[in-house]
Amino acid sequence: MGAEVLLGLALGALLLAPPFLPPYFLEILISVMLFGYLGAAWNILGGYAGQFSFGHAAYFGIGAYTSTLLFLNLGVTPWLGMLAGGVLAAAFGLFAGYLSFRYGLRGPYFSLVTLAFAEMLRVVAVNTKAVGSSLGLVIPNREPAAVNFVFGGKLPYYYVILAMALGAVWITRRLSRSKLGYSLLAIRENEDAAEAAGVDALGMKLRAMALSSFLTALGGTFYAQYFAYIDPTITFGPSVSIQGLLQAIVGGAGTVLGPIVGAFVLTPVSELSRAAIRGRAGVDVMLYGVVLVLVISFLPQGLLGLKKRR
Amino acid sequence: MLEIDSVTKRFGGLTAVSRFSLTVDAGEIVGLIGPNGAGKTTVFHLLSGFHAPTEGAIRFKGVSVIGAKPHAICRRGLARTFQIVQPFVNLTTLENVMVGAFNRTDDPAAARARALEVLEFVGLGARRDVPARALTLSDRKRLEMARGLATQPELLLLDEVMSGLNPTEIEAIIGLIRRIHAQGIALLIIEHVMRAIMALSHRIVVLHHGEKIAEGRPDDVARDARVIEAYLGAPA
Repeated sequence: MGAEVLLGLALGALLLAPPFLPPYFLEILISVMLFGYLGAAWNILGGYAGQFSFGHAAYFGIGAYTSTLLFLNLGVTPWLGMLAGGVLAAAFGLFAGYLSFRYGLRGPYFSLVTLAFAEMLRVVAVNTKAVGSSLGLVIPNREPAAVNFVFGGKLPYYYVILAMALGAVWITRRLSRSKLGYSLLAIRENEDAAEAAGVDALGMKLRAMALSSFLTALGGTFYAQYFAYIDPTITFGPSVSIQGLLQAIVGGAGTVLGPIVGAFVLTPVSELSRAAIRGRAGVDVMLYGVVLVLVISFLPQGLLGLKKRR
Repeated sequence: MLEIDSVTKRFGGLTAVSRFSLTVDAGEIVGLIGPNGAGKTTVFHLLSGFHAPTEGAIRFKGVSVIGAKPHAICRRGLARTFQIVQPFVNLTTLENVMVGAFNRTDDPAAARARALEVLEFVGLGARRDVPARALTLSDRKRLEMARGLATQPELLLLDEVMSGLNPTEIEAIIGLIRRIHAQGIALLIIEHVMRAIMALSHRIVVLHHGEKIAEGRPDDVARDARVIEAYLGAPA
């Protein structure tokens, strides 16, 4: 009961407070929601199924590039481009996942292969003129038009990413109570025992992969529309992959709200340390690193692991 | 129901199981015994799809299981437990068993109801909300059996579910196996606790160095000279 009231209040604040926030805080809140969203998408494969992808940037980048290229070349609204990117990313995820899972890659081997796939796409993007090569793509100045996913101020972007984050949480909650969710947890815990108990490990992991990569790609489109600029390093680089998994792991991998909680802790820490230690480049990143080390040393299950899911 | 026809399994130069044949009929309890390293667990791995035989045929309900994945074999009605218990340690007892129950339903409520029923049946009802990592060895053995039962098998393979238990706990497991059998489930049991396997089995098969050296009623097998030799060595 207490927890529900708390969640209700938090949701009310997230819905009502932003119009009154100064722009700087609104920007931070948008970052929190974007990273929380990416964490939630990663969490389905990494947290529930226990398949630690280090290469979700692949799907993020596919989403960002697909919608942007469709818009620039064919004038397709990014709302549709977003879906197209999601479908394309899911297809690529199924391809990469099938290759990895079919040949029994588990644990760190799977992680390395996902990293390699993302890097491969980054190198392809850097070397392909048609997608702007290493210069990337700029979405030119346009009149604000909701139909084209272009807004005048930051506030509408905030509500878009809030809706996406809430949607991801809702999907995760449904997942956690479904056959797929239980099967993924069983695979995470012990894949052989899961198979022996009737879990189609390959099929279930591929479903998790498709869902996770689809959602991640939508985040890529949001990023492209919000910043109006993408390049191979930003979208396909390892830092996007790391960001997603950090939120989930710090907040609590395999929990419904973990990634969002993680984003609410990590993003402000990163912002505050950057603001506090201005002028000494790199010190803020070191401080951020210290926080990560502390969290992972003392809370290996993440912040929500404190109250340990049952 | 289960037919193993002259199956051989080689790992490189090592022949773990050699020209081994065995049948289990519906409603039967068959004991599989033999000294350590005889190949008993390998037979279970072959039956449940974790290994493919090098030669020979395995049919369950008339259909070959060779090449089928473990989950597909489980779906056909052949479930197993593991000698070294493999609980999902971070899930609760109930959630562990629900995973098995999802073998026959996609509906979480139905899976939960089925799992609760099975937990009561094996005597873990009171432990349902405890994480599996907190269970005693005896309870973990029950959990292994519960997870297998929840899949609604027609044949259940039990791999040393009594090892490491005290005499009282063993009595309780014997009672549980009898109740499982009373539900019409056939059982193939690997066990080192001779008193238990002799009391339970309709028929006993003895493996030694991967080969079947005896098969028959428990008291006949216990008197078989080759069996005694396999366990105790040849008389001086």
